[in-house]
Amino acid sequence: MKLRTRLAIASVTVAVTLAFAGFAAIAQQPLDRSKIPSPGKPPELRVPVWIRYSLTNGADLIVSEKRDLPLVSFRITIQGGASQMESSTRRGLASLTASMMSEGTKTRDGEAISNAQQLLGTSIDINIGSENGSIAFQSTTKKFPQALDLLTDMLLNSRFPQDALDRLRAQRLVVLAQAKDQPAAIATRVFAKILYGDSHPFGQNVTEESLKAITRDDIVVFHKVYFRPGRALITVVGDVNAASVRATIEKSLVGWSRGGDKPAFTYPALPSPHPMTIFLVDKPGAAQSTFAIGNPGPPRNTPDYDALQVMNTILGGMFQSRLNANLREEKGFSYGVSSGFAYGKGPGAFRAGGDMVSAKSDAALVEFMKELRGIGGARPVTDDELKTAKDSLIQRLPGTFESVQSVNNAIVSLWIQGLPDNYYHQYISRISAVKKEDVVRVAKQYIDLEHLTIVIVGDRANIEAPIRATGIAPIVLTDIEGGR
Amino acid sequence: MVCLAVLLPVFALVVLSQSKPSAIKIPFESYTLPNGLTVILAADHATPTVAVTVWYHVGSKNETLGRTGFAHLFEHVMFTGSGHVPYGLHDNLTEGVGGSNNGTTSNDRTTYYETVPSNYLEDSLWLESDRMGFLLDTLDTNKLNAQRDVVKNERRQGIDNQPYGMANEILSGAMYPPSHPYSWPVIGSMKDLSAASEEDVKNFFRLYYAPNNAFLSIAGDFQPSAARAWVTKYFGGLMRGNPVPRPTANPVTLDKETRLVFEDRVQVPRLYIAWPTVGEKSDDRFALSVLDAITSGPRTTRLTKALVYDQQAAAALNSYQASNEEVGQWVLTITPRPGHSLMELEQAADGILDKLRTEGPTAEEIQRATAGLEFEFVSGLQSNLGKSATLANGAGFHNDPGYFQTEYQKMLAVTPSDVKRAANKYLTKGRVVLSIVPMGQLNQASKPAESKVYRRVDE
Repeated sequence: MKLRTRLAIASVTVAVTLAFAGFAAIAQQPLDRSKIPSPGKPPELRVPVWIRYSLTNGADLIVSEKRDLPLVSFRITIQGGASQMESSTRRGLASLTASMMSEGTKTRDGEAISNAQQLLGTSIDINIGSENGSIAFQSTTKKFPQALDLLTDMLLNSRFPQDALDRLRAQRLVVLAQAKDQPAAIATRVFAKILYGDSHPFGQNVTEESLKAITRDDIVVFHKVYFRPGRALITVVGDVNAASVRATIEKSLVGWSRGGDKPAFTYPALPSPHPMTIFLVDKPGAAQSTFAIGNPGPPRNTPDYDALQVMNTILGGMFQSRLNANLREEKGFSYGVSSGFAYGKGPGAFRAGGDMVSAKSDAALVEFMKELRGIGGARPVTDDELKTAKDSLIQRLPGTFESVQSVNNAIVSLWIQGLPDNYYHQYISRISAVKKEDVVRVAKQYIDLEHLTIVIVGDRANIEAPIRATGIAPIVLTDIEGGR
Repeated sequence: MVCLAVLLPVFALVVLSQSKPSAIKIPFESYTLPNGLTVILAADHATPTVAVTVWYHVGSKNETLGRTGFAHLFEHVMFTGSGHVPYGLHDNLTEGVGGSNNGTTSNDRTTYYETVPSNYLEDSLWLESDRMGFLLDTLDTNKLNAQRDVVKNERRQGIDNQPYGMANEILSGAMYPPSHPYSWPVIGSMKDLSAASEEDVKNFFRLYYAPNNAFLSIAGDFQPSAARAWVTKYFGGLMRGNPVPRPTANPVTLDKETRLVFEDRVQVPRLYIAWPTVGEKSDDRFALSVLDAITSGPRTTRLTKALVYDQQAAAALNSYQASNEEVGQWVLTITPRPGHSLMELEQAADGILDKLRTEGPTAEEIQRATAGLEFEFVSGLQSNLGKSATLANGAGFHNDPGYFQTEYQKMLAVTPSDVKRAANKYLTKGRVVLSIVPMGQLNQASKPAESKVYRRVDE
């Protein structure tokens, strides 16, 4: 059957090439399709260049000119986020404050702010996350000055109307209620609660109670304390002239007066580790079981970062990584399985997981454990695995500077993590230096098999007994907030 | 008004002279191989990557009853290796060298794509040509079965185990008669996925995966002369297939309202209203897209302003015009705030839409809706993958890779009266209204007594 198919195609090839003289050369030299084309010389790494300034108010300014298209990406990034600036009884305050900055200024009401953005063809996005926040937009070159003026107004002159707070809070309460039905959202909340506990900001989820406690005064104070130039970086990437955009920004932000320090990023101690445990959240009737397996991880500035990147690429960072190749492609248990580290200033989590068909929850758990033990030494890293992981990480770099926004992201991430300006130039040699023994060492060190947290959200009636029968770890039943 | 019409072009000229030239343009060349493969080349050296899109004119509408979901299952099989490419090499020569790859299936087309560092273009063409020409050489039942399980899990993850995940499937099933090729979901039913056989794979491949049913679009950092030579080398020898049958997918109209209610594992009910509209081939879709843009989204759009901001009865609201190749839908989704019923929201939305049908939108609303198009387009030009997909879609659906320019101009040309006409023509009483309610709470539906209970068909 195989042979016939190929013969039939070959004979038609001849007929086609005879009819079209332009293709005669191919008929004369039959193509050997079994030969993998050898790639030519790799493209040159072109790292964007940028210029650094200090503004009068103390904010850092970095400008990177990229003038092939009439586009600008503008961002103000603030060091520190909810984990540094929110109180434990007001979880959700940082995010609500960010949203409230679109609700009206001294001269524009919420509708005027919205209409202005629509007419400028832009969107001014304000977000405050766990360890940093930003106020940013992208626009065409010609709309940039007006968009910047609008951003400045929202940053400096927001009024924070009470009725807007009431509306936003009510909307968030509905989103919170809906999250109780989403297996992925439940797994994320429970995983965080168990890894970090009640007294660590990473373990303090936004709740109905914390949202209801937030007052307008809380928001006014948070805004005043948080958005300070002393902890800010302004980045402009795109179709601008560095010197003149600096002058434009100085002028636009003249009302943003000095002050603010970068926060210390000190975190409370982690809860003492428990022996490996399965935390089962019952979701009656669930067609799949959602897995989240892991432990607290190292900060971004760990000297093991490069080895960890290579290790995770082999374990669960790519489609053909061990986890996905086994649990999806070979076993068919899932649509996708992956792993990764949430790097930041604090102990962001290592997490492996995916959604497994209910009937194979036990078998999936066995395979997860096999792969986690494997990367820690039980299954040696092959030369091919090491090479592919490094090639993938290294050769991805030139393509990451594709858009004004991706260049902006690349610059901001260096500033946030305190990495040097020549970071991307040194990246290739650092990844190249990672050895097999480094991969195994960091797997052992940062994936703590003795103390893993295994969260499974699924249909208890069907999955509890088979999972217990694997004998992998004791099962503790938890509710959807991680309570026992 | 006359003054404005005269002034506008002058203003536009001034603006254009100040901005970069050719902002709404993707320079490309296009030609067809003797075997029918359409080739599109768009060189741009800004980023040292190349994106390759291979677009096949086949989707779930080409399926037959009893084999729903097959086009998409087949897409998965296309990643399991081919005559000269062992399983896994496709990933290693894309993701494994710093690139990426994926595929998508819609009702009308199946697209395969990869972005690679520019020195791997020849490898990508080798990979794509091998599965276009030699997929069946290495096909086996184990591969099919493994991907069948993966796809069933894709369905569980995206639909069965997802709150409100069944909504689109229920709406399409109610909008089209069962024989209509848009009546079934792209992902298919569990029963049909179980039934798909190796023989089905072979027949589907031979009919639909021939070069005469395909479009190869390459965008990014490459030399066109080298690309042309490689395309000829790897694709030139593939055999032209038989003429491809195109199923009839006529537009539908509903003579009355269909009302349904579905119990789901949710705590918050939600209302869906879907109207049958037009697809890619009809210019009315531009007015329908603008209608969508002035109806929901930013807080000054009509329904969002009324229901989320002024009345504060809805927690969230969105609408969209979904254009398939032949037919489309205009869908409105409303999530209530506690204390507000789906019926109240339906009536409030109908009141706002009635006013829009009677009065039409203002010129300013149209302006707000289309002001962002230029930025969206120019921003999209930064992505080699985005460009290759845009050119392939134009070629596949409109026989013109440069169709994006026509589309852009037609969007900008939409007038208030176009939108008013479209609202009156399409947002009629012939529609599907679906309430998704918590288990055991059928009475939370909008007009529960008139709503038929929809039940899930289990695997």
